[in-house]
This record gives sequence, C-alpha cells and structure tokens, in this order.
Amino acid sequence: MSPIIQLDNVSFAYARIPVLKNITLAIGEEEFLGIVGPNAGGKSTLLKLILGLLKPDSGTITVMGKSPEQGRSRIGYVPQYPTFSRDFPINVQDMVLLGRLGDTRWYGSYLKQDRDIARQVMEAVEIMDIRYRPIGSLSGGQLQRVLIARALACKPDILILDEPTANIDMRVEEDIFGVLKKYNEHMTIIVVSHDIGFISGYVDRVACLNQTLVCHITDEISGKTIEELYGAPVRMIHHAH
Amino acid sequence: MNNFFTALVNYSFMQHAMLACLLASIGCGIIGTYVVVKRIGFLAGGIAHSVLAGMGIAYYTGSSPLAGAMVAALVAGILIGWINLHWRQHEDILIAAFWSVGMAIGILFISRTPGYGIDLMSYMFGNILLVSDQDLYLMLILDIVIITMVILFYRQFLAAAFDEEFSRLRGINVEFFYILLLCMVALTVVLLIQVVGLILVLALLILPAASAAQFVNTIKHMMALSVVFSIAITTSGLVISYEPDLPSGSTIIIVAGLVYVLAIICQKLFIKTRAT
Repeated sequence: MSPIIQLDNVSFAYARIPVLKNITLAIGEEEFLGIVGPNAGGKSTLLKLILGLLKPDSGTITVMGKSPEQGRSRIGYVPQYPTFSRDFPINVQDMVLLGRLGDTRWYGSYLKQDRDIARQVMEAVEIMDIRYRPIGSLSGGQLQRVLIARALACKPDILILDEPTANIDMRVEEDIFGVLKKYNEHMTIIVVSHDIGFISGYVDRVACLNQTLVCHITDEISGKTIEELYGAPVRMIHHAH
Repeated sequence: MNNFFTALVNYSFMQHAMLACLLASIGCGIIGTYVVVKRIGFLAGGIAHSVLAGMGIAYYTGSSPLAGAMVAALVAGILIGWINLHWRQHEDILIAAFWSVGMAIGILFISRTPGYGIDLMSYMFGNILLVSDQDLYLMLILDIVIITMVILFYRQFLAAAFDEEFSRLRGINVEFFYILLLCMVALTVVLLIQVVGLILVLALLILPAASAAQFVNTIKHMMALSVVFSIAITTSGLVISYEPDLPSGSTIIIVAGLVYVLAIICQKLFIKTRAT
C-alpha cells in the first residue's frame, strides 16, 4: 500500500537556522501517528511543510500522491494557536460550516448537504448545544472542539492536530481522543504533542522529532529514547497495550 | 422639523438628498461591516483621501469628477492591496503615502485648472443638496454591484476576513478576495463622497458598523443593523442640519459619533459583556 503522505529527505531552515534536517517519513493510510519532541524541535514546521504553507529547502513532499498545495484540500487541520481574533462576530455553527468551503459550490450559500455534515460533526464532538454561541464566549476546551469540528467538516482523508492538548484540562482531552480514535477507522490522523506519555496510549507509532527524526512503534518507547531526544531524563509513564 | 418636511415634499433637491442618504447607507452598512471586522479602517481612509487625485485630474481634463473619483479609488485600492501583499511594506506607511500624495496630486491639478470657483469644499466635505439624477443612478448601480458581489462571495469574504490561514488551506484565493474587498471599499467610498465628502467618509464607513457590532454576533446581523443605523444617522443628520443651515456632512458625522458613544454605553450597561 502506498503511503498517504511521503516526505523524502526534507530539510528546512528559517533564515539559515536549520529547523529540520533530512526528514524521511512515510505515513500510511488509517495510521494514527504521534509526533513528539521538545519545543523548537520543528514539529509545527513539519506540519506547515505537509500543508504546503512552507516550502522545503530541499527534498520532496507528496500528499496523496500530489504536491502539498494540491493535496491539502483532503487535509483537515486543527491549529495550535487559533489564527483568528476571538472577538470576531461569528458563531460556532457558522465557523464549523467554513470547513465545507472548497468542497461545495463556489457562490451563494451552503447546500443542505453542507449543513447536514456540519450537524453530524458537531454532534460527534458534542457541541450541538453551543452552536449558536459566539466564539468569543467559549472556554478553551469548547473552542478546541469547535476547531476539531471545523476540520472534520472538511470530510478529510487526513486529520492533522497541532498540540490539541495545550490549554485544556485532561478530562476533556481524553474525551476528544476517544472521538478521534473512532474517526481513525477511516482516516489518517497525525497528532503533534509535547506530552508523549499522554498520546502514546492512542497512537500506532510515534515520531520523535528534534531537527532529525526517529520513529518508534509505541511499544518500543523507553526512557532511554526519550532521554536521547530531550537530552535530559524525562518522567516516563509506562503504558501497557 | 416642519420646514424640513415641507421642503421634502416641495423640492426635488431634498428628495434627491434623502434618496442619496438611503442609497449610500446600503453600501456603507454592508462594506463598513467588513472594514470594521477586518480592521482596515485606516486603509479605507487612505483610499478615500487618495481619491482627490482622481477628482483633480478629472477636473483639469474637463471630465466628470465622480468618474475620476471612481477610477482613483479603484486604482488606490488595487495598488495598496497589491503592494501590501507582494512588496511587504508596512501597512501604515503605505497608507500614509497614498493618503497624502493622493491629496497633493489632487490639489496640484485643481490649482492648475483654468478659471475660478471650483468648490473644493464640496468634494472635501460633501454637498448632499447638490446630488443630481445622474449621481443617484450611479449610486444605485454601485449598490447593485456591491450587493451582488457580497451575495455571491459572502462565505469567501467571511472566511478570508476571519481566518486567512484556514481559508488558504480550503483553497480560497485569500489575496484575490483581499483585493476584491478593497475594490468594494473603493466603490463605497465613491458612494459616500456624495453624502459627506472624502474627508469624512472614514467616519461614516466605520461608525455605524462599529455601533452595530456592540449588539450582534454574526456578520449578517451586523450588516443589517449597520444599514439601519446608517439610514437613521444620515437622514437625521440631514433633518437636523436643514433648519439652522448647518453643513450637512459634518452634522451627519457628529450624529454618527453620538450613536457610537450611545451604542458603547448601552452595551456596557444593558448587555452582559461577552466572556473571553
């Protein structure tokens, strides 16, 4: 089976400071991949390269066999920091519907099909009761769910989440990952997190990223690999599968 | 007050003025909403002031100043947008440059126009009592263009104004819609010059929409309420200015300022502030 995302010897530098070096990574269909690593280890940069928001200095990236710019319409993306202003006058439902753009007709209003899909994903992440609330009134956890719903509304083949567990409490996180695990049955999911102990309970494979990349099947993770990655001993949660 | 209504019934210039208020309010409420939520008020101000260049050149060459205004507004909108996107200049500097150079060009051409008695003041501060049939038709056409574009591309304008990165990922040409929005702003500026003049356009573009934003949570409602506010502000300004023979443009702007202050006070007093 050919990989759904393929990175081949990819390097990237911001203003000559290398961030990623010779990354080669193949992500398979319906894989649940975790990417972990220290801050400034290049995690978000790697995602931006896959999304075609940045261009690699060398190496090639394909998304579903196409260039990132062409393939990214099949990706649902949940950013770490919302790139919008929280006081923008828009409610939850309208924001989720924006995920339908690019997949619906180019003019006028949404189709019934778009509204049905938006309702389904809002039900899946349990935000139907807040769908008419302005986004400025939401808590961090609620906004996170809205961001995930908007990404799911794209009906993506690949879902990418950048630090979905930042700024929200643990109970909410577990809920969200439970939902994602269900979607994983017919969707590739890539999660970036600094919190390896937490995500390794859900993912099939962990990519450890600190400029260079090392991949592990989740069972193989040991304190030693983490130590190598962060350069210091890290408290490790043992997880049996 | 009574005199105003007598005049409204008897004089076509008053009827024209009222119609101009209504027509200008439609474009102003709709596009003003985008200007406020996208925070491009001063960019709109830059476009408005650089319009004087077009008016001056049109006057010098003997063509219609309003046509000159329209060309200059569109050119300024496209240029500011394009330079901003491609040459990565600081937006405030770009705006200041267009603002002042545009006005300077306009004044230069007006000073070289033979003859005396160009009413510079009426361009700068508007003269709603001199709106002609032809002006009204032009305003109607501009409104139709604005409404059509917004109905067609409502979602794209919303997405691009709300979240550029996500819009780009969804295949929306964010740059194209940014420049298209600036063109819409340019058309609205031309619409409003008739009513309040190019100096005061900025206030009428922003204040009704900013007032509406205090009470509603969606762009659609904000547009609707801001059109209502604009109509109320422009017509009441016209009524108030009529009897004491005050300059109508300035009166309208002062009313707009008062409405904005009242809107903020109402929001603070009566509507629970939105949690952040």
